[in-house]
Amino acid sequence: MIDSLRAHGWGPFHVHWSEWTGQLFAGLLRTLEYTAVGFAAAAVLGLVLALMRMSRLRLVRLPAAIYTELFKNIPLLVIVFVLYFGLPETKSVFGDWVVLGAFNAGALGLAIFYAAYLAETFRAALSSVHSGQREAAQALGIGRWSIFTHVVFPQALRLALPGTNTMLVDMLKSTSLLITITAGELMSVGQSVSSQTFEVMEVYLVLAAIYFAMCYPLSQALLWLERRVRAGAALSVRRRQRLRAARRLLAAAPGGGA
Amino acid sequence: MTPVVAITDLVKSFDGRVVIDHVDLHVQPGTIVTIIGQSGGGKSTLLRCVNLLERPDRGTIEVAGEPVFAGTRVVCRDLTRLRQSVGMVFQRFNLFPHLTAVENVVLPQMKAAGVAAPQALDNAVRLLRRVHLTHRGLAFPDQMSGGEQQRVAIARALALQPKVLLFDEPTSALDPESTREVLQVMRELSDDGMTMLIVTHEVPFARRISDSVVFLDSGRIIEQGSAADVLDRPVQQRTRDFLKTFADDSPAGLEEAGR
Repeated sequence: MIDSLRAHGWGPFHVHWSEWTGQLFAGLLRTLEYTAVGFAAAAVLGLVLALMRMSRLRLVRLPAAIYTELFKNIPLLVIVFVLYFGLPETKSVFGDWVVLGAFNAGALGLAIFYAAYLAETFRAALSSVHSGQREAAQALGIGRWSIFTHVVFPQALRLALPGTNTMLVDMLKSTSLLITITAGELMSVGQSVSSQTFEVMEVYLVLAAIYFAMCYPLSQALLWLERRVRAGAALSVRRRQRLRAARRLLAAAPGGGA
Repeated sequence: MTPVVAITDLVKSFDGRVVIDHVDLHVQPGTIVTIIGQSGGGKSTLLRCVNLLERPDRGTIEVAGEPVFAGTRVVCRDLTRLRQSVGMVFQRFNLFPHLTAVENVVLPQMKAAGVAAPQALDNAVRLLRRVHLTHRGLAFPDQMSGGEQQRVAIARALALQPKVLLFDEPTSALDPESTREVLQVMRELSDDGMTMLIVTHEVPFARRISDSVVFLDSGRIIEQGSAADVLDRPVQQRTRDFLKTFADDSPAGLEEAGR
C-alpha cells in the first residue's frame, strides 16, 4: 500500500484530467441523451400499456399483460444484446433496418425494459383514483377525454410521481451497462481513460463522483417537484394566471377577502 | 306543465336482484320531491338512473320533456346535454382533490359547456358566494370541512345551470354542524325555486322543505303524497314502521322528539 502510494506520488490525482475533459463531457452528454430518449419513450409506452391493461376488452388487456410480465423478467442487458448483436443476424429476412447501431439499440433497450415497470406504476396509480371521481365528472357532463386529461390523469400523476422518479434515476445509472455495446456514454469513456492511464481506482472513483453529482441533485429536484405537486401548486402558466384572477375576484366579492 | 323529471314504469336489477320495481315518479318544475326509505331500498339507484349513471333495464325516463330512456334503450342523443340539465350532489362530495374550490366550479363549465375561462371564473365566484364560501375559494378539498366541501359540490352542480338538482344523501357523511350548513343552503335554493329530487334520512328537514315525499321500500313505491300526509299520517304499515325506527334512534328523530 505504502509502496504503491510512493510509486504513484502522494497527490490525490495522477491522471491529467484536463486532457480528458472533452471526451468526458461528450460521454456525459451521451449518458443524458440515452436517459432522456429512453425515459421519454418508456413513459409513453408505459402509459399506453397501463391504459391497455385497464381496458374492458380482454383482447386489448392480454398483449399488454404479456408484455409487462415478459420484460419485467428479462435482464436489461439481455434485451440490449438481442437488439444490438442478435437482430443484425436477421438482416437477410427483415432488411437493413434491423441493424440498429449502438444509440438506437441502447435507447430502445432501456425504453422496452423500463416501460414494463412504468406500466405497473401507472396502472396502480390510475386504478387508485377513486371511482367517485370519474362518476362525478360524468354526472357533470364532462366528456371521456376531458375526464381523463383533467380529472383522472392529474390525480394519477400525483400518485405515480414517486415511483416514476425512482425509475428515472435508476435508468440514468443503468445507462452505464451500455458500455458493453461501446455506447460512447460516460462509463465507456471512463474505461478508455483507465485503459490508457492504468489508474483504474482513480478513474472509477471519479466516475462514481460524476454519477453521484448527476443523480443526487436530480432525485432531490424530483422530490421537490413531488412535494409541489402534492401541495397542489400550479405548474402551468395558464393555471397560475387563472388562480391569480380568482384571488382578485374572490377578494373583491362580498364575504371574500380572506 | 311538463314535469322536469318523468319516470314511468322503471325497472332495474343487479345480477337478477330487482332494486327498482316498476316505479313511477314525476317532479314538477319548482317543486321538491324527497325520497325516503331503508338503505339498500333502491333510492340511490333511482336517482342515478335519472342522469343515466345507472342504465335501467326497462321503462321510460324523460327530463325536461326530452326522452332519455324508452323501452330498453337509451334514447338520449346527447348525454352531455342531459347531464348539464341534471345536477348531482353525492354523499361523499366527490370534489376533485387536485383543484381548488373555485377551480372545481370552473372545470365543468369549461369542459362540459365550453364556457370561456373569464366567464366561467365569474360564474364560479358568484356560485361560491351563493353557498357562502367566497372566503374559501382558493382552498383545496382536503383543507375544508365536510360541510364546506359539500357546499362547494352544490356550487359545482349549479355551475351548468341545471333544470333539476339530484341530492344523494347529501348530509349522511356530515357532522351536525356541517349538516346544518348544507341544509341551510338547500333551503335557500328551494326559496329560489330550484327543482330538487332529494334522497335523505333527515326526516324533519324533509317535512319542512318537501312538496311531496315518496317512501321507497324494496324498490317499490309504497306511499307517496304531501310531506304532511306521508310523514305525519302514513297510511301504509311499512311506512309507519320505517318512520317509527327513525323516531326511535336517529339523531334527526331525537331532535324532533325533543321539540
